[in-house]
Amino acid sequence: MKALDRLLPLIQNETLKIWKKKRFFVIVLVLMIIIPIFTYAQHRIDETNKKNFKDWRNELVQQISEYQNTLSSDRIPEEWKRSRRIAVQQLQYYLDHDVNPNSPDGVTFTRSFLSNAVTLFFPLLVLALASDLVSGERTSGTIKMLLTRPVRRWKILFSKLVALSFYVSLTVVVSAVLCYLISGAVFGYNGWGMPVFTGFVIHGSSVESGFAHAIPQGLYLLMEAGLIWVSAMTVALLALMVSVLVRSTAASIVAMMAAVISGTILSNMASSWQSAKFIFSVNLQLTNYLAGSPPITGMTLGFSLVILACWGITSLIVSFFVFTKQDILN
Amino acid sequence: MRSLSSGNLWKIISISAVLSTLLLVAGFGFAVKDLLYPRGESFAGRANVPALPAGGKLSEGKNIEITAIGDSLTKGTGDASGEGYVKQVVALLKQKYPDTSVRLNNNLAVNGLKADRLQKLLESDKGYSFALKQSNIIVFTIGGNDLFQIASGTSPGKAADGLKLDKLKSGLPQGLNRLAQVVKRLHAINPNAQVVYVGLYNPFYDIPEYRGGSLQIQQWNEQAYALLHQYPNMTMVPTFDLFENAIGRYLSSDHFHPNHDGYAQIAARIVQSLE
Amino acid sequence: MQYASQEARQSAQQDVVLSVSSVKKQIGGKPIIKDVSFEVRSGEIFGFLGPNGAGKTTTIRMLVNLIKPTSGEILICGEDIGRHPEAALRHVGCIVENPEAYSYLTGWENLEHFARMLRGIDNARIREVAAIVGLDSRIHDKVKTYSLGMRQRLGIAQALLGRPKLLILDEPTNGLDPKGIKELREFVRMLASQGMSLFISSHLLSEIQLMCDRVAIISRGEVLAVGTVDELIHGADNYVVWQFEQPEAGRRLLAGDGDVELVPEHEHQIDESLLGMREAVITAMNPDRISSLVEKAVRAGIGIVSVHCVAPTLEQLFLRMTEGESIG
Repeated sequence: MKALDRLLPLIQNETLKIWKKKRFFVIVLVLMIIIPIFTYAQHRIDETNKKNFKDWRNELVQQISEYQNTLSSDRIPEEWKRSRRIAVQQLQYYLDHDVNPNSPDGVTFTRSFLSNAVTLFFPLLVLALASDLVSGERTSGTIKMLLTRPVRRWKILFSKLVALSFYVSLTVVVSAVLCYLISGAVFGYNGWGMPVFTGFVIHGSSVESGFAHAIPQGLYLLMEAGLIWVSAMTVALLALMVSVLVRSTAASIVAMMAAVISGTILSNMASSWQSAKFIFSVNLQLTNYLAGSPPITGMTLGFSLVILACWGITSLIVSFFVFTKQDILN
Repeated sequence: MRSLSSGNLWKIISISAVLSTLLLVAGFGFAVKDLLYPRGESFAGRANVPALPAGGKLSEGKNIEITAIGDSLTKGTGDASGEGYVKQVVALLKQKYPDTSVRLNNNLAVNGLKADRLQKLLESDKGYSFALKQSNIIVFTIGGNDLFQIASGTSPGKAADGLKLDKLKSGLPQGLNRLAQVVKRLHAINPNAQVVYVGLYNPFYDIPEYRGGSLQIQQWNEQAYALLHQYPNMTMVPTFDLFENAIGRYLSSDHFHPNHDGYAQIAARIVQSLE
Repeated sequence: MQYASQEARQSAQQDVVLSVSSVKKQIGGKPIIKDVSFEVRSGEIFGFLGPNGAGKTTTIRMLVNLIKPTSGEILICGEDIGRHPEAALRHVGCIVENPEAYSYLTGWENLEHFARMLRGIDNARIREVAAIVGLDSRIHDKVKTYSLGMRQRLGIAQALLGRPKLLILDEPTNGLDPKGIKELREFVRMLASQGMSLFISSHLLSEIQLMCDRVAIISRGEVLAVGTVDELIHGADNYVVWQFEQPEAGRRLLAGDGDVELVPEHEHQIDESLLGMREAVITAMNPDRISSLVEKAVRAGIGIVSVHCVAPTLEQLFLRMTEGESIG
């Protein structure tokens, strides 16, 4: 309790610094620009579909038929076919149970926006917060002021970590809330209770729907946000480590961006390179497990969580070790 | 300027951040529990059966709803413009009935589909029956893959190499049997719609040793007509004549599927058959 | 037992605020600091003098735990900085190199930030230090609008926040105008008179001479000498610059005196700016002899325009201490 008492002012410092650096404003601003664009795009898609299809069921049937057509092509990579086969079976499940997976409402839009944002968009926002956390203090020279106070170095890094976690949480929640508020203005603010299916068990390319069950979309959204938070926190921990190790903020952003982007590319190629599944950025899309489509054959939520935890813990150890031992030479 | 003291700002940020974190951790907990220990649960969906549109003459109805099912011919493979005969039928019907709304409900054709698979889809796929029930015109092609695959043991596009005419002949009964099932099923799903079956043609008419295949094709067409004939709402349009002397004009470069003009001819015949 | 001995040592060194003993530092296998030892007593202004690159900043960084020494011991008020940094740094306020601050925060927010890292610093104390450095009128402006001088004041303000026993200033006059330097000097004296010890590094002897009580001279990672400024400068030949109405006669007169050594024009180490006189005769001699020489010149009918006593430069001191070894 006493230790916490001493830590709180430090956390307060770091939290206020991130706030005053206007990082969070930038994130909110980016969201305020991006979400209306996507809402508009979705609105256009809905309009086209409304023109072409009498009913969402017709749309779904058509979608399934188109997926089946790509399955019959010899030129499509096996990994894509696998995911299409899974998608066909899941869409079929929705159709069989007469549940619209793409119902046009604010909650559905938020759900799909968040799950699409998890591999690139959220890591990007997290990098905006985390990349200069330590390297920025080096660049401005304020690290000398910070480390010559009568405070242990680990406490300083710990307070930065807590402040970073605060903003990661706020980013995820604010994204969801803004997304709901903005898209709801167009699509309506309902859809909380709509059933969404989860619990599909994937064996190779076949879907076992014995465990599939419906949950209210609101709960699904909450679960999705929780998974996004875990993958965002892993990115945050890695970014913090890079920020400790690399002197320049630009270099730390570039290094992290390269890692994140290459991960998304690799997960498309993973059918030919299985070991790619040990790379953190291939495991970021935790929300896929909820929807029932693992990025690489044989990957499970447990596997991804263990991989992310390994990366996260390793970067924590490296960060704290280097930060407490390092000589500040300039 | 300093409307919010840093102490209050800190309180607001930290409390909302802690609450957010708790919420997200709870969400994560739910997700892990749900995914690692899934519990099966039956979900009783509302059954949604659309009312069958009234049958009767197209010119009298208010709406024309078309559903197309079948194989690559219905899909439109070979047509560089991607329209196939289905979209051309829609366009022609719009011209013919300017006062009626004409729309393509669904084109559910799948490349390489064979009659037995189609029969299963009609049997079990709720989406298929849903779409079919909504429509008053159903167009379909099937059988080509069955026949040519039986005959060559390979996919129809490459069929010309290993085509064996005697096998084509022996495969006929099996294929027709499947067609009969499909037709029966279609009638069960939607007895009111006008159903048009597009007959088969011999794409290898210009290759002398396979010219004889046309006889088998013709046999198929005849038997198919006999099957459809049982149902007054069903009919068949012939296509074999189009691809005998005008093969270069109407067949696409894969020498199996029609090209845009070939599909246009098929579409014209379908529209002629509809009333 | 260990406690007792530590306490005994603490009381014995009661008035030693900072004790540095045989500190060495290697970076990448290269010895940067070879052997540095000195002590700073309470209430004194201690100068840390050396040319650029001598290891001043590295030493200062070791004093405040930014760099860990390879060997040696640094005690602040008896606390080992390596083992108990929290306890040792409680007594220290410092500015290492430039006075840095968060430019996106106001001066006040910066002080609040650093106050939160200390114990028992309230808003009254923040207002107090802001007033001490004369920043109270602009304290709520963003630091990015501050001039260099104001940043320096803010830096000192944050260093004073925790009522330190030892204030470490690294080249504090860098970038200040003569007025600022004078103010700083007075400020440093004022702090020392309140019982605070000050550790001031500089590469300018004149500055150290004007400000400090005692001084350590460092060159190439080694402390060459520690003592009072007078002790160190005493004995070094002062330059005396003469200007006569009849330069040739005057030169002959000085050359005839056995205690006076004429310094050829190109050999002296005096700043040209300090000199600025034409036809000056530069001598190395004991200033005590000036009055008798003036008398002698007057008697010989040689008019004297001016006599300047010029303190030796740092370079000159080094020359003497290292016996002619160049300091690069």
